[in-house]
Amino acid sequence: MDTFGSLAIVALAALIHASFQLSVSVLTLLGGHAIGAKRSQATVLRLTSSFVGGVTVMTILLLSFVALVLSSVYGNHAPEYAWAIVCGLLVGVGVAVWAFYYRREKGTSLWIPRAIASYLSDRTKATKQSAEAFGLGLSSVIGELLFVAAPILISALVLIQLEPLWQLVGIGLYTVISLLSLGTVWSLIGGGHTLSRIQRWRETNKYFLQFAAGSGLIILGFFVYVNEVVAAAVGAS
Amino acid sequence: MSLAVDIVKREGRRPTEAFERAKLHASILAACLSVRTPEGQADSVAQAVCDAVSEWLAQRPEVTSQDIRRVASTHLKRYHPEAAYLYEQHRMVI
Repeated sequence: MDTFGSLAIVALAALIHASFQLSVSVLTLLGGHAIGAKRSQATVLRLTSSFVGGVTVMTILLLSFVALVLSSVYGNHAPEYAWAIVCGLLVGVGVAVWAFYYRREKGTSLWIPRAIASYLSDRTKATKQSAEAFGLGLSSVIGELLFVAAPILISALVLIQLEPLWQLVGIGLYTVISLLSLGTVWSLIGGGHTLSRIQRWRETNKYFLQFAAGSGLIILGFFVYVNEVVAAAVGAS
Repeated sequence: MSLAVDIVKREGRRPTEAFERAKLHASILAACLSVRTPEGQADSVAQAVCDAVSEWLAQRPEVTSQDIRRVASTHLKRYHPEAAYLYEQHRMVI
């Protein structure tokens, strides 16, 4: 696969990552608590910026770590079975997202373990310092690992094939695109929009986001499978 | 101020406690402020909702915290629908 094709896959995987909503939910709640506690707009902005910073750092760390592990196991070219396993994971997670991503109730509750959801909710309420908001950002990425593992794994597999400079570009590209939805909500909160409007939009469109994320994972899984596994098998015969 | 009403917390998993108007006032006020309502207006709305809930509680010896939330939300919807939406959604965001 050429560099452009690899980066296109990374970009699509990052776009799918961006459609997952746990970090956006936590940011919405954090903004709500900060504004409701009569904090100044500067403090609200500082807390939410620190949160976005935490999400950014954890996304970079996760992708870099997975790519490092994969490159130390496979070198700079992963075998077909590794591609096949990750493609299977993409399709499996895609179907799971279609079926389970949001709970079938009012609001935007996600199918993550309730203990994690309660922890994040309680920590959000207790967050008063920038460092705490940063830590909350780190935790919220871990909280949705169940869903983001698949796009991160496929991106890491693609990235280890590239030249070191392009690997850095790929990590940067993934991080920027995966933060698009979070960045949008952050700028809306910073711009003075009411949280009820943001939350109402999220609730109204939640099934579309769920469908888009699931479909994206399945399409990406099939595309990479054909490109890396089927093409290699046909080429070998 | 607190009324002599026992509040059963979250499906009985936590000990019951007496109703505290100040706690309800603070939560309604926070919901109003979250939707960027001016502080004076938010306080008036919170007072009005607390009055309505206190009146509702007067004839009841024991209620659940869910009941209080539901009744408060119903009254808040009359005064400030946007704040009521966020108040209802509070536990349904994550």
